[in-house]
Amino acid sequence: MDISFALTGKGYVILASDTTAARSIVKMKVDEDKIKVLSPHLLMAYSGEPGDTVQFAEYIERNIRLYQIRNTYALRPPSAASWIRRTLADSLRSRKPYAVNLLIGGYDTSTHQPHLYWVDYLGTMSEVPFAAHGYGAYFALSLLDREDGLMSGSSYHDPEAPLEEGLKTLRRCLDEVAKRLVVTPEKYKVKVVDKDGVREIEI
Amino acid sequence: MNSFLTRYSSTTPEADIRKAKELYGEDEDFSEVMWGSTGGFGNLASGVPMFKLPSVQDPSSFLRMHTDDHADPSCRIKIKHGTTTLAFRFQGGVIVAVDSRATAGSYVASGTVKKVIEINPYLLGTMAGGAADCQYWETYLGIQCRLHELRNRERISVAAASKYLSNLVYSYKGMGLSMGTMICGWDKTGPAIFYVDSDGTRLKGDLFSVGSGSTFAYGVLDQGYRWDLTDEEAQELGRRSIYAAGHRDAFSGNTVNLYHVKQDGWKFIGNYDVSELHYNGPGDVPGATGGGYGYDIRVAGRTSTNAPEGEAGEGQA
Amino acid sequence: MPDGSFAHPQQRQFNPYSDNGGTILAIAGADFTVIAGDTRQSEGYSIQTRYAPKVFRLTDRAVLAVNGFAADGNMFVKKVKQRLEWYRHAHAKDMPLRAIARLIQTMLYAQRFFPYYVYNILGGIEEDGTGAVYSFDPVGSYEREACRAAGAAQSLVQPFLDNQIYFKNQKAAPGTTHPAHLPLSDVLSIVIDSFTSATERHIEVGDGLEIYVVVAQGRSPQGLDAFRGAQELSTQPNGDRMFIIRRELKKD
Repeated sequence: MDISFALTGKGYVILASDTTAARSIVKMKVDEDKIKVLSPHLLMAYSGEPGDTVQFAEYIERNIRLYQIRNTYALRPPSAASWIRRTLADSLRSRKPYAVNLLIGGYDTSTHQPHLYWVDYLGTMSEVPFAAHGYGAYFALSLLDREDGLMSGSSYHDPEAPLEEGLKTLRRCLDEVAKRLVVTPEKYKVKVVDKDGVREIEI
Repeated sequence: MNSFLTRYSSTTPEADIRKAKELYGEDEDFSEVMWGSTGGFGNLASGVPMFKLPSVQDPSSFLRMHTDDHADPSCRIKIKHGTTTLAFRFQGGVIVAVDSRATAGSYVASGTVKKVIEINPYLLGTMAGGAADCQYWETYLGIQCRLHELRNRERISVAAASKYLSNLVYSYKGMGLSMGTMICGWDKTGPAIFYVDSDGTRLKGDLFSVGSGSTFAYGVLDQGYRWDLTDEEAQELGRRSIYAAGHRDAFSGNTVNLYHVKQDGWKFIGNYDVSELHYNGPGDVPGATGGGYGYDIRVAGRTSTNAPEGEAGEGQA
Repeated sequence: MPDGSFAHPQQRQFNPYSDNGGTILAIAGADFTVIAGDTRQSEGYSIQTRYAPKVFRLTDRAVLAVNGFAADGNMFVKKVKQRLEWYRHAHAKDMPLRAIARLIQTMLYAQRFFPYYVYNILGGIEEDGTGAVYSFDPVGSYEREACRAAGAAQSLVQPFLDNQIYFKNQKAAPGTTHPAHLPLSDVLSIVIDSFTSATERHIEVGDGLEIYVVVAQGRSPQGLDAFRGAQELSTQPNGDRMFIIRRELKKD
């Protein structure tokens, strides 16, 4: 039942993930952080099979860190995403695959470009301007596709939107999910990556 | 960490560890199940695979076919299932409370099960799901915690102990282990609780309840929980919550076992009969408000009849 | 088909288990333990044999009763005895009861993914001289108790034991309390009544009854004198004493 969203804007990527950890009908925890900070300019939101999620995310986290220790520089977002996808794809052909869906957001400090990758548990990857996993996708993607400024003037997806606008767009997605989805998460954790690095934002 | 799965896979982190072990000649392979010394007699340590598996295509579905009593009540091997457990952190430490009923299908296999496993004087584990899985692996965890102490001259943290268990059960994922446990204790960081289950989930938190009666326990627990509960209030809350589960959930009941973890280790508070709690309450214990917990007992002599002044209510003289 | 292939898809199931009926039970006293089992072995409605022991002497102070699938049970007892012999060779003494209990747990759990279909009850004398009963599920979860019945007539016998041993749902006469432990003579009567009654009401129970009695060192086996056929199995003159009582049960 995990829900996660991500979108890019002018020089940044926003990632949002709900914070509940559930087991059957019971919420076991309401403040679980499901977005990992992989490197100074790289974020990864993960969801999927309980157990697999954290094991896989920690494995990725440590190997990305190891790369940085060995090579002084962290992998740039496209390379990191490629490596992560490959790890997942290799696992798919193993005896016990990781069933984990990912959103990888990063800021390339060399080209000054934000990057967002949508990755599913089969190892499908695509670079996108906005993305979602879980039931949130059914509500938010159409909204984000919509052209800007037709009705209320702004706050749909715009690749050139400043951060405040981007956060407003995210808010729309969360509000839509809250309005229409039967069971809605009450809290989201939101993290942003831009030229200054990674930070958490209260929403 | 030597399950059938990881033994033959080559892409997992465990495989990397195995390679490293081969490189450095460290081999702890044989001792995992059959621990204990044979003093040089017998041949337990000859690299026999530690868990015997049936020679079938899919060992885990074979196991499920013969043991899963939810899917097939007539199956032969009834593995005992545990039921309501809770633990919470508060100002005065950790409270751990559990029921004592074990069921095999609809038969009450035992009413005196110890669902709190005393891992060591500072660590407690709880039992829900497969009784043997919890008992065995938490005992095993106790051994590893002691080895950690001997190797590092320092007690293991609750976080590390719980992660050890979580990684261990994760390596058996899909093989049919069934456990939902809370690892509770006190370490350098203060009181701590981790929820660990056989899916491989591991969560740090202040308050957890696990088992078929957990929803009923949560109902009482969530409403009565505050960080600044006194020791007595906290113990009463744990007791009352398990009573609630024992009363409403058919798979829970018999007695309540209550533990309190403080800085100097855990202490067993008491064992309380659920029927006794229903009619007479816990007796003269700290935190008890007096009287039975049962609804009928609590409201005896009170009525919702609302007759106008001077007129007798219906059925009343 | 003539070439050995099949015209239709075939489905096969690997079922290595059977249920051989029977019932076992054990009761611990203050300084003695009684472990008993019937001797009928059956499969479905057929009786395979009228004498197949389910209760086995492990050491001078430990007795194991095994119920469920007879082939697994016999194999398991054999392996436990082997481990106990290795222990004797290594340490020049018998393994203590609580250690045997833990050994049985690890041996059962080693078969976690291909379980022995057996319910074990271990009875005997603890190192401190008290009577003890340990009961196990097929994959090794165990617990020390005062009494336990297992097997086909478990659901008939256990409630009776709860009432007679634990005094469940009984109220003591005013000014008195229930005794914590019963004397040997009372326990033996309860065991015999349990089996005669189970034989009456359960088709898989009957033929013969074997009752092992282990009495702690220095304690008199008072109450045993009433049983003429009681045979002493003790190996040491001043150690714990072990007896076996064999009785007939109805054979229809």
